[in-house]
Amino acid sequence: MKNFLNRLLALPLLIMLVSGCSDDFPIDEDGLLITGRGECYVSNFELLGTDYQTVRTSAAVIDTVAQTVAVEVFWGTDLRKLWPQFSLVTDAKLDPKITSWTDFSDLANPKKWVVISGNRKVKKQYTVTITVQEKP
Amino acid sequence: MKTDMRKTYLNFIWVLPLCLALSGCEEDEYALPEAKTHFQNDAIKRSLGPNVVGLNLEFVYGMALGVDKGTIRSARVTASIPGDPGTYLEHRSFHTNLSGNDVPVTVADPSVSDGAVTEVTFTRDTCAAALRYYYIIPEAARGKSVEFTFSAKASTGEEVSYKMGPYQVAKMEMVRDITLTDTNLKYFSISEMKAYNAADAAANADKIDLVYLYRTITGVTFNHALVSPSTSADYLPGVTLPAGVSNTTKIHKTWQLNDRHLARLQYGIYVDDLDLEKIDVSSAPDYALNLRAESGAWVETADGKYRAYVYVNAVNNGAGGSMRISVKRLQMK
Repeated sequence: MKNFLNRLLALPLLIMLVSGCSDDFPIDEDGLLITGRGECYVSNFELLGTDYQTVRTSAAVIDTVAQTVAVEVFWGTDLRKLWPQFSLVTDAKLDPKITSWTDFSDLANPKKWVVISGNRKVKKQYTVTITVQEKP
Repeated sequence: MKTDMRKTYLNFIWVLPLCLALSGCEEDEYALPEAKTHFQNDAIKRSLGPNVVGLNLEFVYGMALGVDKGTIRSARVTASIPGDPGTYLEHRSFHTNLSGNDVPVTVADPSVSDGAVTEVTFTRDTCAAALRYYYIIPEAARGKSVEFTFSAKASTGEEVSYKMGPYQVAKMEMVRDITLTDTNLKYFSISEMKAYNAADAAANADKIDLVYLYRTITGVTFNHALVSPSTSADYLPGVTLPAGVSNTTKIHKTWQLNDRHLARLQYGIYVDDLDLEKIDVSSAPDYALNLRAESGAWVETADGKYRAYVYVNAVNNGAGGSMRISVKRLQMK
């Protein structure tokens, strides 16, 4: 009877040990956790100048259906050296990664980034369009 | 069986008190440590950041001997390069009171400097003192290293000394609190570190690197700006440049770079030679608009001879607009 009770207690412990080590959430090539989330959108966008201060005249307009980000920047902003900052839905990531200043001076060819969902199965390309505040 | 085991335990149970008795009786008498009474000294450096010509290096030199041994007779500092006028060794010893304030006690005659040596002769019967030493960094030390030997003599005949350094003196130059005005002194020369009016700018056209202007333009954010003379006319609204003023200056705008030497604020940030040597402004624009107080700009002259960090101490929107700047500059070529 005593032996039976001991085994009865040991069994759940063994199950917990085995299940705890199982690989339910793998990581991707960046070492980030691949989760079950399929949401894929940009929630906020910031654009900084060389002084790390915003160059936006107002909040960026994000259209998650059309997958566009529209930003107006101050007149006189140096478009060759700007640092975009994306806020994404939980677990999503951006491609390509932003690791340095970005040149936005070619206004006719807006920059594009791909948002990848947490489960890495949904990919959406966002186009960032910059307009410069017009001098009256 | 159990009775046998109990007997065995009882046979050995006397070992425990024996161990306690042996360890408990160990002789370990305590004696109050005696303070060293021979003449001793120590020094610390109080000033922080790069050592810029014209600023001071500040030290505290402490010396003491046993209270019944004798008194301090003199203290002196020998610098490897003589300091500029204003270099002195305090003749007052400071201590901190319960309110946290430094309280001076005069212990000697004011210091006398002779070349690289600064000395005080004690007038008070004291066996301990902490004297501050202020070394004004001379032009002769620019780009070199400087060392200090602190020494003191006591009535016992003992002499002590303490070496500090070497400390590398920065190559850069610094000017502070230059006022630029939109109505008159609007031209600034990095090479001369000086503001000019239009007439003087015309006479020194090749030296003018920056133009200051203040504009309130409806619909855009212009305000206080530093621009290159060669910039687009869009960034020089209403300005007719003096003849020959046409340099192209690279201007990289910054924020939260409150160099302590220039700003004299609470921030512990310093722009050093290395920063000016390493900064890459080759792709920077030739204008910086909407400069606010406590902002700044890295600047490189057209010929690449100078790089500078221009810090904006204050801006004033009244009387046509003005800006007070402080500059650290390094000659690159």
